[in-house]
Amino acid sequence: MSEDTNQTPSVPESTPPENSAPPGDEAPATGSVDASLAGKERRSRSRWIVLGAVAAVLIVAIVATFLILGNKQQATAVADTDATLTVGLTLEPTNLDIRKTSGAALEQVLIGNVYQGLVSRATDGSIKPALATEWKISDDALTYTFTLAEGVTFSNGDALTAKTAAQSIQSVIDDKLLGSEYLGSVKSVTAADDTTLTIVLTQPYPDLLWALSGRAGLVLDPAATNDAATTAIGSGPFTLESWKQGDSLTLARSASYAGDKPKVAKVVFRYITDTNAALNALKAGDLDVLAPVDGNLVSQLSTDEFTTTRGQASDKFVLAFNNTVSPLSDKRVRQAIRYSIDHEAIIKARGGADTALGGPIPEGDPGYEDLTGLYTRDVAKAKSLLAEAGYADGLTLTLTIPSFYGDVLPNLLTSQLAEAGITLKTTSVEFATWLQDVYTNHDYELSIVDHAESHDFGSWANPDYYFGYDNAEVQKLYAESQVATSTETSSDLLAQAAKIVSEDAAADWLINFRTVTAVRAGVEGFPTDQINNRLDVSTVTVAKAD
Amino acid sequence: MLSFTLRRVALFVGGLFVTTIVVFVVLRVLPGDVAQVIGGIKATPEQIEQIRSEYGLDQPLVVQYVAWLGGLLRFDLGTSLITHTPIGAEIAEKLSVTLPLCVAGIAVALVIGVPLGVYGALRHRTTAGRVVAYVAQAAAAVPVLWTGLILILLLGRGVGAVSLLPTQGFPKDGWADPAAALASIALPALTIGIVEGAVVLRYMRSAVLNEMNLDYIRTAMSRGLTRTGAVLRHGVPNASISVLSVVGLQTASLVGGAVVIEELFALPGLGAKLVSDVGNRDLLSVQGIMVVLTGLVLAIGLVVDLAHRVIDPRQRRVEA
Repeated sequence: MSEDTNQTPSVPESTPPENSAPPGDEAPATGSVDASLAGKERRSRSRWIVLGAVAAVLIVAIVATFLILGNKQQATAVADTDATLTVGLTLEPTNLDIRKTSGAALEQVLIGNVYQGLVSRATDGSIKPALATEWKISDDALTYTFTLAEGVTFSNGDALTAKTAAQSIQSVIDDKLLGSEYLGSVKSVTAADDTTLTIVLTQPYPDLLWALSGRAGLVLDPAATNDAATTAIGSGPFTLESWKQGDSLTLARSASYAGDKPKVAKVVFRYITDTNAALNALKAGDLDVLAPVDGNLVSQLSTDEFTTTRGQASDKFVLAFNNTVSPLSDKRVRQAIRYSIDHEAIIKARGGADTALGGPIPEGDPGYEDLTGLYTRDVAKAKSLLAEAGYADGLTLTLTIPSFYGDVLPNLLTSQLAEAGITLKTTSVEFATWLQDVYTNHDYELSIVDHAESHDFGSWANPDYYFGYDNAEVQKLYAESQVATSTETSSDLLAQAAKIVSEDAAADWLINFRTVTAVRAGVEGFPTDQINNRLDVSTVTVAKAD
Repeated sequence: MLSFTLRRVALFVGGLFVTTIVVFVVLRVLPGDVAQVIGGIKATPEQIEQIRSEYGLDQPLVVQYVAWLGGLLRFDLGTSLITHTPIGAEIAEKLSVTLPLCVAGIAVALVIGVPLGVYGALRHRTTAGRVVAYVAQAAAAVPVLWTGLILILLLGRGVGAVSLLPTQGFPKDGWADPAAALASIALPALTIGIVEGAVVLRYMRSAVLNEMNLDYIRTAMSRGLTRTGAVLRHGVPNASISVLSVVGLQTASLVGGAVVIEELFALPGLGAKLVSDVGNRDLLSVQGIMVVLTGLVLAIGLVVDLAHRVIDPRQRRVEA
């Protein structure tokens, strides 16, 4: 979930000055002393004016050309460990405080690159070592023992030991920092020595490793006194060199990182909200990589110069129904809406990169199964369900959507739902307004938001969440899944629960977003899956062009 | 002149003070708050409450306003709730993009608008003169976004018919590399220049046409000047006085209104910052920007007024 800016067109309107008289198109026939002389003079003067204007424009153009040519960087040959990789992204973090500021944009660039956790997430969703090189789970699944690498330091020189890690995780729990919501079953976090960290749970929690690969497991320097909102001190392969708000964030190869050094000296993340401007930046050579590329603009890229890849993402565009208010508390109405939606048309209108998603769990998350067959478009069925629910004459519903999602989704839904007799009214609001009205106050009927997080099925088992979905069976299955001793059992339980949620038509999952990444030839190893949450650039290489 | 200046400065200060109240009150009406934006959709109500009290958002509004105004009197705009950096410094950084952009845009506008406006007036009965008038009318009517897109297609580096100027972005190091910085604002400034130039042209043309009818031109001609000579020497300076007001107004509105251009060319300017700060509900920062913008508009008005009295002896006499 992240916010964005919406454009406010405010071109200054020209207003005529009050004292300027209407153009006197009637020429003043002032008596001329010597008409022919005056005419000659007039011509030469006016020619001078025109020439002057032309000359001025030419000078500006010539100077500009000179400046640009003079500034053009000479392309170097051969692979380059001094290279700067420039990556175009859309959403900028609001600030850099990973403990207090939400948003995938922040995790995306800092976790793994600057900050490190005990463990990390591979792009396929599996858990891989990070600060902890190995770990053991006791048979009762209550004790996790991690072995940390030796000799790790933060970029400010402070040592990172198991004790530091224990302190870091304990502070997340004690200060209720972001990530603490996953650590409810933690009984104790202790460091036996500099390299051994033990986490004891009160009950089994199959998602613990996954949680520790996120904010909950990050190890920050407890002795650091920097302002975490604008700077970052971590132990990762990069240091945060600078953040120019509204423009770019720059990482530099860390001198103190003990592991494999990044293959590039610097990485610049440039934040460009306008999709056309972003594409122009890529085409002009100002970016090496752009992610995501607007699905409808991909065709503009030459395939000789760029490789485009559709990458998996956990982003679910959820058409939320307020399950607590009439008429949406009636399952038949919710089902009618789901039967009216043509997902293929939506995917096509967005450029064809995304995929259909039939339920609350996306591909790559535990408990995923293909549920797209549950509600395939059937307008007749939608109509009869509505009639059954007492809305044979149709009904009107209001959709509240943050303005940065644009018009495409609301417009498509309006016309698709109209066929079933549902009149959709759209209210486009700022994200901050959405947070207050929809998310906090639950004051809405339908809403669309991209739920970007993975492993977030819990919202369907929480009747206080803004979905207002309250199903005892789902809650029971979810609770069991969270205390299962094996991840397989947990996944099975989640899959059962997810199917019920989808069958119940608790919401409609419009699409599962796919990140289209365009990579310039010569750039290798750029990750493409799950990069909205983690963008590990430590293994990317920039080959030499000649 | 002194009393006029003093009165005008008092108006400036009073205007600014009223602005602080209006801006403060109006922003509190907006739904949503910064704590929610920071906390996002995973934060628990306790986490939100914690952020809120940390930022002093739970204080009474009057206390918040007085604290802010006290800071303003010390020229301290406060610290952004979102980025934790001094707002004054952030605004200065964004202005280092937006101000040169607007000044360059207005400069281009004057280079295009003034000579062509005079030309259009002097030749208003010829085909060339009419063409100038019609083209200006059209250029002023076209949305600035469209003009920008056309220029990108014509001159954009890597994307245009002639690969010449960068179409987006501003050097990371700002004006440390003046050539690169100038190049990056060239296209957006040209876009502003064309649209604003057309406006200036129309005002200049009608103002000069107006002056051409006046007696003093005839008098000047009777003393041996050609009509063109008389208009250029006496008419244009007189016409410039009213055009100056227009240029002042346009410049002022551009500083805040350049947001469309800044978005189109992905420039990290003040307009773009204003939009994102409103979206994030970083109200302290929005207030700071509004006060600075209002201050700029009022200051430009003040300068234009004073300049009028320096340029135009008639105004001084009327006042005395």
